[in-house]
Formats: sequence, structure tokens, C-alpha cells
Amino acid sequence: MLMGKEKLIPLAAMIVILIGAGASAYVYTTQTATDNITINGQQYTIDQIFNIAESRTFDLLNFSGIALDDLVIKTGVGCLECHEYTIIGDDGYQKTVTWENIKKGLLTKDGMTVFSDLPKAYRIKNVVKIEVI
Amino acid sequence: MEKMKLFAGIIVLGSLWGFAECIIGPAIGDAGLPSGTIMTSVFAIGLMMMSRILFKQRGMQLGMGLVAGSLRLFNPFGGCVVCSAIAIAAEGLIFEIIWYKMSLDFRELKTITMKLSMGIVTAYSCYVGGYIITQILTPMVASTGFYVENLIAFMPQILARGLLAAIVGGITIPSIFVLKNFNINNVKDRVYYPTTAAISLLCWVAVITNAIFIIGT
Repeated sequence: MLMGKEKLIPLAAMIVILIGAGASAYVYTTQTATDNITINGQQYTIDQIFNIAESRTFDLLNFSGIALDDLVIKTGVGCLECHEYTIIGDDGYQKTVTWENIKKGLLTKDGMTVFSDLPKAYRIKNVVKIEVI
Repeated sequence: MEKMKLFAGIIVLGSLWGFAECIIGPAIGDAGLPSGTIMTSVFAIGLMMMSRILFKQRGMQLGMGLVAGSLRLFNPFGGCVVCSAIAIAAEGLIFEIIWYKMSLDFRELKTITMKLSMGIVTAYSCYVGGYIITQILTPMVASTGFYVENLIAFMPQILARGLLAAIVGGITIPSIFVLKNFNINNVKDRVYYPTTAAISLLCWVAVITNAIFIIGT
């Protein structure tokens, strides 16, 4: 027998609330809290990263930090153009970019990526990992 | 109801929605509030529900989404503009799909539980749907390519953020029902058309002027 709307709609609302609450609990328990950034499998502190890579400023966007391309080179990644780079934030937000994008990117002191050639969606906050794929 | 009256209704409510997305949304974001949630659950859902109650017509909400999305194109700030415009139009489409089987006299929504439930389901679906569409389209437009694994990894966050949108939507839709006894047909044409035209024009002029002002500074 088909369920009437008067039962189906409140049930759907309850399912929606359960999905939202379940996802919130999952996000809360799995959120990574670390001051380190893992690049190509190796862990670095923000201070270490800022010591090894050269600085970069985007005057128009009003952001400064370290050059992402220099950072990737200094962490020992070979054949830079052969790879793509997945940048992951502490909330699980992640975006994959090319070497061409990396060359126009920087990492701010508070751990956010900014790319001069990509939209704001690529500003990943609290970066915890840069995967070379 | 006259087609012209419906058309004017789509334009004015869609323009108000677009105005909210372009002008009010960034201001809410700058104030540190969750602008995406408020935009979808209060403005988008509120205006679409208002159109459904006042005009009692299907299809209007998709039209409003297209008008609002078009207005968003004239405000080229805040990330991928085309993606935002498409996501806004998609919210209109999602609303239409959810409300398609509901009667136009709202006889199913007599109790507060039903109104609240529809608010929760509609706001959550529109918010999550719009968010997912933006996440798919932005990498495509940015030419980095779309990676499904990036979306999957972020899905728990999207589903979690939708919870607040759902709760706010559960308040918005029952609130809009205060307009249920207002009959739009009682508004005289000589008042209706100049008012809708003036409000629509004001929204478009405000958004375009704001864009020119930002580009100029």
C-alpha cells in the first residue's frame, strides 16, 4: 500500500535531519587538528615550510605567503608537469590542480592556498596535505 | 490568471532573489554569518514559496531561478559567476520537482508538522543540490577538470552544512503561509504593473550600478 503524503513528508524531513546530524557528527569526529602539513608523504611544520620556500605576493588580491611551485620543488617532487596536485583542508575540502596552477599559487601564513588564475573555490583553508598524484 | 500578470510576478520575485544573492548575500558573508544558508533558506525558499502561495502556479519558481541567475551574471564577483548563476537556477528547478505533486490549494499542508516538514525537505534539497552543482561546475569552468573523489571527500561537509539550512527552511515556509489569504487578483492592474516594474528595475539597476562601482574602484 502506498504511503500517504501526511506520513511520507514528515518521514522525509526526519530522514533529512538524521542525514544532516549524522554528517555533522562524522565531520566533527574526523576533523584533523594539526599544525603540520604533509607534502608528498612528508610532514612539515608551517615554520619549516616558510623557511625553505621563497615568498610570493599577489598585490591585486592582497595576499602574500610562499610560492607553491617553489615549495613543491623544494620538497623533492620530480617531473613536476607529469603530476597533478590535490590540496586538502582540515575539513576534508579538497581540490586538484595542475602544475600550471601551482606556478600561480601561494600558501599564506595561516595555511590557505590562493591561486591568481583560479576562482575563490580554490582558496583552501587550513591545508593539511598536498598529495602528488 | 492573466499570463502577463504571472510574467510580471516571475520577473519581480526573480529580480528580488537575484538582488539578494548579489547585494545582501555578500554583506551577510562579510558580517561573518553563513550567507549560503541564509540565501537559500530565507531568500530563495521564502520568495519561491511566496510565489507559489500568491499565484498558485507551477513553473513560476523555475522562471524565478532563471531571472535570479541571469541577474547574478551581471555581478561578476565572488568566484565562478556562471556556476553561481546555474546553481541559483537549479534551486528553482529542485523546488519545482519537490513541490510538483503538492496541490496548488495546499490542502495537504493544513498542519504545522506538514508545513515544517516541507520546509526542511525543500531547504535541505535546494541547499545541498545547489552546493553539489557548484562543486561540479567550478572545476570544469576553471579548466582544472572535475574530480569525483574531491566531491566525495567533501560530501560529509556538504550534508552537514545543509542541516542549518534545513532548520531555517523549516521556519521560513510555515512563516510564508501568513500570506495564504492574500489574493493577488484583488490588486488592481494600475497598481500591480507599475509596482512590479519599478521594483524589478530598481533591483537590476542596483546590481549593475554596484558592479560598475566595484570595477571602477
